[in-house]
Amino acid sequence: MTASDHPVQRCILHVDMDAFYVSVELLRHPELRGQPVVVGGTGGRGVVAAASYEARRFGVYSAMPSSVARRLCPHAVFLPGDHERYAEVSREVFDVFREFSPLVEGISLDEGFLDVTGARRLLGDGVVIGHEVRARVLERVGLTCSVGVAPNKFLAKLGSESAKPKVGPDGIRPGVGVFEVEPGRELEFLHPLPVEALWGVGPSTLSKLQRLGVATVGDLAALGEDVIVGALGRANGRHLAQLARGEDVRRVEPDRAVKSVGHEETFASDLYERSDVWREIVRLSDGVASRLRRQGLGARTITLKIRFSTFETVSRSVTLPSAVFSAPAITAAVAPLLDTIDAGQGVRLVGVSGSGLGVPTEQLTLFEEADVVSPAAWNSASSALDDIRGRFGQAAIGPASAMRGGAVRPVRGGEQQWGPVEDASGGSP
Amino acid sequence: MKFRCERDVLAEALGAAGRAATGRTGSLPVLQGIRLELKGDRLTVTGSDLELTVQYELTVDGQQDGGMVVPKLTSDIVKSLGDPKVELLAEGEEVTVAAGRSRFTIRPWAYDDYPRVGSTTASSVTLPAADFIDALRQVVRAASTDEQKPQLTGVLLAAEAGGLRLVATDSYRLAVRDLAGTTVLGTDQQVLVPARALQEVIRLASGSGELTLRLGERDATFEVASARVTTRLIDQPFPNYRQLMPQPAPNVLTIDKDAFTDALRRVRLLARDTIPVRLHLGGPTLRLEAISNDRGTVSEEVDAQFDGTELTIAFNAEYLASGIDACAGEQVTLSTQRESNRPAVLRGLGTDDYFYLLMPQKV
Repeated sequence: MTASDHPVQRCILHVDMDAFYVSVELLRHPELRGQPVVVGGTGGRGVVAAASYEARRFGVYSAMPSSVARRLCPHAVFLPGDHERYAEVSREVFDVFREFSPLVEGISLDEGFLDVTGARRLLGDGVVIGHEVRARVLERVGLTCSVGVAPNKFLAKLGSESAKPKVGPDGIRPGVGVFEVEPGRELEFLHPLPVEALWGVGPSTLSKLQRLGVATVGDLAALGEDVIVGALGRANGRHLAQLARGEDVRRVEPDRAVKSVGHEETFASDLYERSDVWREIVRLSDGVASRLRRQGLGARTITLKIRFSTFETVSRSVTLPSAVFSAPAITAAVAPLLDTIDAGQGVRLVGVSGSGLGVPTEQLTLFEEADVVSPAAWNSASSALDDIRGRFGQAAIGPASAMRGGAVRPVRGGEQQWGPVEDASGGSP
Repeated sequence: MKFRCERDVLAEALGAAGRAATGRTGSLPVLQGIRLELKGDRLTVTGSDLELTVQYELTVDGQQDGGMVVPKLTSDIVKSLGDPKVELLAEGEEVTVAAGRSRFTIRPWAYDDYPRVGSTTASSVTLPAADFIDALRQVVRAASTDEQKPQLTGVLLAAEAGGLRLVATDSYRLAVRDLAGTTVLGTDQQVLVPARALQEVIRLASGSGELTLRLGERDATFEVASARVTTRLIDQPFPNYRQLMPQPAPNVLTIDKDAFTDALRRVRLLARDTIPVRLHLGGPTLRLEAISNDRGTVSEEVDAQFDGTELTIAFNAEYLASGIDACAGEQVTLSTQRESNRPAVLRGLGTDDYFYLLMPQKV
């Protein structure tokens, strides 16, 4: 692939969550906000997975042995990592990304690329989209992120770095949030950067380059490709020469299609009534349907998972003739599955998931069925639901049969992953 | 009861009757079996679930009159025998099936428990089998198999303009065939015959010259060759299909039936389950396309003649293939409205006694 394959200037976003693991922990430990917090192995041989900006002030950074971190910052709060929880939140974050473009490539749990070239006509330019991504991530999961906007991936990634909060000895300076590397001014941005900012410049390459008197990207670009190749070898040399010119033709490769979409929840106290279990199923189905629609998918196979108070777990599945993406269609599929299960022995966890995912299509029918609400009617009701949630938030609307204590409790991925909250009827924040 | 007969003849009769025998253990478990009755050299083989009854008459070498109800398994036993001559003997609580050096002793159902089924008193009409079976074949494919909607699981036979009209719909497609000059019903009379029974009629009628039809108030009987299919009629109103009769269409595609069928067969490798086939209409080629998220994409072009405005329209590929297959002739026409959510109509070019109307898929 060459640049000429892109007659249109691409617009790539690199979104990087700010101190992701720590921020996730702060969501459930708000009392720790403003304090140095370190996430990672807390044992004697543990390493730091992430450090809050406050901890970074003391020189704590990721991959540092926890014992060193403790010495540098003895008053920091050390928390064990909870990867499962981070993965859940990450999925929610990426769901938000996919609302802006189908071309989303995950680099890790907390960063990803979005190709929004095609979305600009609808949503505004890259910077506008970048701000909207930040706002929506904040609204949906309560976390901040930094966005780099550029004509390619490499520059977008450098851009997000420039957008981040900065930690200095004098304190923490908030970042700009969104930083654009403007088309036409790429080199102006790139060349003053230290050469180790380039991907592929590790310690060994760096020392070779330093011997050639290269300190900045601009110095490297000035050498010319032949010299660079001579010094670093063909593959690495050409790669770095390209980067030094601000060129990067790699495409944003969307992640492999998701295999299933599901929600499950462990309850504060076991459920014994079928009606209670059913209410949870309706609520979870609504969450699954909502996520399916956000990704533009439908599910052909619906699975109900029940864990009893004995920890015995059963799963029942049904495969439907066509892909469904509305809560009523999902609950209708689950109802007969629930009939095969006796809730009387106490239900600890309920899960609903959809698999066999595909772009939903709808077979139109010849007759109006007067006594049945048609799938098409549910589909338009569902999209109205999405509009309301899009404008007023997840808790704005939900199925009446899923209500408890007069409040709508929308499903959010991972909300209960660490087990039940103390008062399950209290509604969501 | 005792008789000898050809293995293949008996296997076919047991197979046909066995398909009608019930698979469920209901109030009459004996209906899971196949009833055999011998009078002289006439053996009558009956299978029924009370809704549908298939009776098969064959000539055997009868040695002792009588009757028995054998389990469906007997059908598999007879089919599997090595020797082409079979002997059946019912004695006491046992039925013996013997052929060559094989001998099965199996437990029968109680003969006296088997209900009286398949009798009919309605007057008969005899017509050439080939035309009627062709018409059935064209229409029965559009009937529903969803037992939740019994009114859609049948084929409507109705008197229409001095002839017979056959109609079936599963609410996604509608097939209508007119058989001019065939009068089997009184004016304005119509019956709704379960598609399942008609599929059995199609199966049993192959090669037979005539078909005798008896249409009663509650049931219908079809006699072809040596088989008789009796079915209870569906006592539910058929949907108002007349409101769906094809409108004049601004877009008409004319295309070679075999080429269309071949292209569609390839596209269907990806256009399965819920993935539709998209037809891009416009210009002298028809482009077929299927896009599957996890498998890939396929695109194929077929020469065609098109009058109208460009349109992309998506269909369930199986329904579309079934409709093309049902059309007579070497060329078919696909007529569409200007909108991709309105029904399309397939016909054999130059034939006006059949159409297959198909609702598109919304993508």
